[in-house]
Amino acid sequence: MLLSDLLDSDAVDADGRRVGAVIDVRLEVSGAPRQLLADTVVTGLLVSPHSRFSTWGYERRDEDGPLLIARFQRWLHRGTFLVAWDDVERVDEGRVVFRRGYTARDAALPRAPRER
Amino acid sequence: MTENPDAFQTDAAPPPAGQVLDAHLHVLDRQVLDRDDVPVTTADDLELDGIEVGAPIEPGSPRPTVSAILTGPQLVMRLFGGHAPAARTIRIPWRLVSEVGTVIHLGVAGDALDATWAERWVSRHLIGRIPGGRHAPE
Amino acid sequence: MSKLFAVALGILTAIGGFVDIGDLVTNAVVGSRFGMSLAWVVLIGVVGICIYAQMSGRVAAVSGRATFEIIRERLGPRAGLANLAASFLINLLTVTAEIGGVALALQLATSVAPGWWIPVAAFGVWIVIWRARFKLLENVTGLLGLTLIVFAVALFMLSPDWGQLAGQALQPGPPSDEPVATYWFYAVALFGAAMTPYEVFFFSSGAIEEQWTKQDLAKSRLNVLVGFPLGGLLSLAIAGCAAVVLLPQAIDVTSLSQVVLPVAEAGGKVALAFVIVGILAATFGAALETTLSSGYTLAQYFGWSWGKFRKPAKAARFHLSMIIALLIAVAILATGVDPILVTEYSVVFSAVALPLTYLPILIIANDREYMGDEVNGRAMNFVGQVYLVIILAAAIAAIPLLIVTGAGA
Repeated sequence: MLLSDLLDSDAVDADGRRVGAVIDVRLEVSGAPRQLLADTVVTGLLVSPHSRFSTWGYERRDEDGPLLIARFQRWLHRGTFLVAWDDVERVDEGRVVFRRGYTARDAALPRAPRER
Repeated sequence: MTENPDAFQTDAAPPPAGQVLDAHLHVLDRQVLDRDDVPVTTADDLELDGIEVGAPIEPGSPRPTVSAILTGPQLVMRLFGGHAPAARTIRIPWRLVSEVGTVIHLGVAGDALDATWAERWVSRHLIGRIPGGRHAPE
Repeated sequence: MSKLFAVALGILTAIGGFVDIGDLVTNAVVGSRFGMSLAWVVLIGVVGICIYAQMSGRVAAVSGRATFEIIRERLGPRAGLANLAASFLINLLTVTAEIGGVALALQLATSVAPGWWIPVAAFGVWIVIWRARFKLLENVTGLLGLTLIVFAVALFMLSPDWGQLAGQALQPGPPSDEPVATYWFYAVALFGAAMTPYEVFFFSSGAIEEQWTKQDLAKSRLNVLVGFPLGGLLSLAIAGCAAVVLLPQAIDVTSLSQVVLPVAEAGGKVALAFVIVGILAATFGAALETTLSSGYTLAQYFGWSWGKFRKPAKAARFHLSMIIALLIAVAILATGVDPILVTEYSVVFSAVALPLTYLPILIIANDREYMGDEVNGRAMNFVGQVYLVIILAAAIAAIPLLIVTGAGA
């Protein structure tokens, strides 16, 4: 399956009610170790109730500048939450269905490394 | 995070066991460089392994993995929608990736990849034939 | 001398932005019709390009990423493609104009018709891009382009009424015989010319050609602070000369000979020789800058190997795209179109492409993943956002003004 197929899918709960759009897929480099990197696994989906895509990530990081843009972006993508992959019931064409009683988690990313 | 009055209660996510990346934010549209820092392509899409469309996911089944970086006609598909026939897509297997930062580093030389065939073709048949093409500028 | 070479990148970038063939003529036209009343636009433009070039230079030095890679990454492939299409078109039109400009300058020098010089000019541009090292290219064209200082010298030699010139500059507003819309059209054109996107594409790619790192941030700042204000001063000097000589006599600027008339009047044959060398170097330098920018933008969007520091066989598609751009430029000129008219249009279109270029730069300059501790300070962000608003205003006003005023007729 392609990443671009998952992105922009409708996210619905077990009752078929739309809760938002999938704006990103959270990955973690923590699977079985391979020659170079460990396997990169899908740990969850990021869902935004009000927007369809987010390329700058202000709502998931604590970058604050430039001020006006950060404020506007956080408003645009307000309410973004993370759903763990274990809470995904089914992936259809253009739609992702969550299990009954799924947990909405904090979408924040771990802090970016300060040293380049 | 700045306080968002619209935020509803969310639980904390479990602590990560490795580097955390958001596919669209951190991987898509970034440059892919080979082990000598020579650009190979831009990451136009990603191939995910282990997701079956329409099939219910058993609780506790293994999580899907990233299997390849896609480029080539993939870019046109992303711009306009639709799917390219599998044969025409150019794949860079994810196991060749050595590091993901502001660019994606591969652990191999670019010449070994399918993804560089266009560059090698132009180099051999066009640019390489013009006098001076194979020499460093003076 | 080597100190001068250290800022060659900034000077060359500024030459392409402030005194290429289109600007030479536009500045002279502005001076001959509006006097110095549009000087404030040049000032605003210089500050704007200093700020954004400094940001893109810093991003390139710290993160190693050139501006167009960032545009694709931050805007996504669709908006990035829109920017690529607009920028490539503008670059192509400008390359066409510059090759034409080189031919016109050679005509001034030798009285041989420009038609003969066009293929020579195009070949000259190509051979330099093909074989010369980036540093050499920079140093020679930058240094020779500085002879345009003769415009400033000529202005002094004309002993103008400085009070009158200052008065025009401090009273922004169209003179009585020019419509307001035309005044604002030229204001937008001058602003668009000062902040043309290819300047930051070239400056940030040049920073990577020169392999600047975090240690070179001071050098990057110096390049910006020397190059662009110098370019702005030359712009003003050209307008000033036209204001002093052409405006009182209501001489219209229709060709390069009117542009250099004030200099010839002030300093005779010697000054004329200097200015012709300067114009030749400036248009040739601008041709190099815009041709390279065409290659840089395409390669950085698609992820091709690029750079003059690589041998051409190792950056094949980069070089191929520049060869094709030059061939198209020659083909366009072969149709007999006036290259200067071509630039007047391309300057306005560049105003439209500005927001898509500068917004991503401002975003990335704040991103710690790319910049570590070298992110923008509050003051830089504040000024950057103010300029975004100005840029947006200019972009929105550009096309309507173009239509309403008939390209400033």
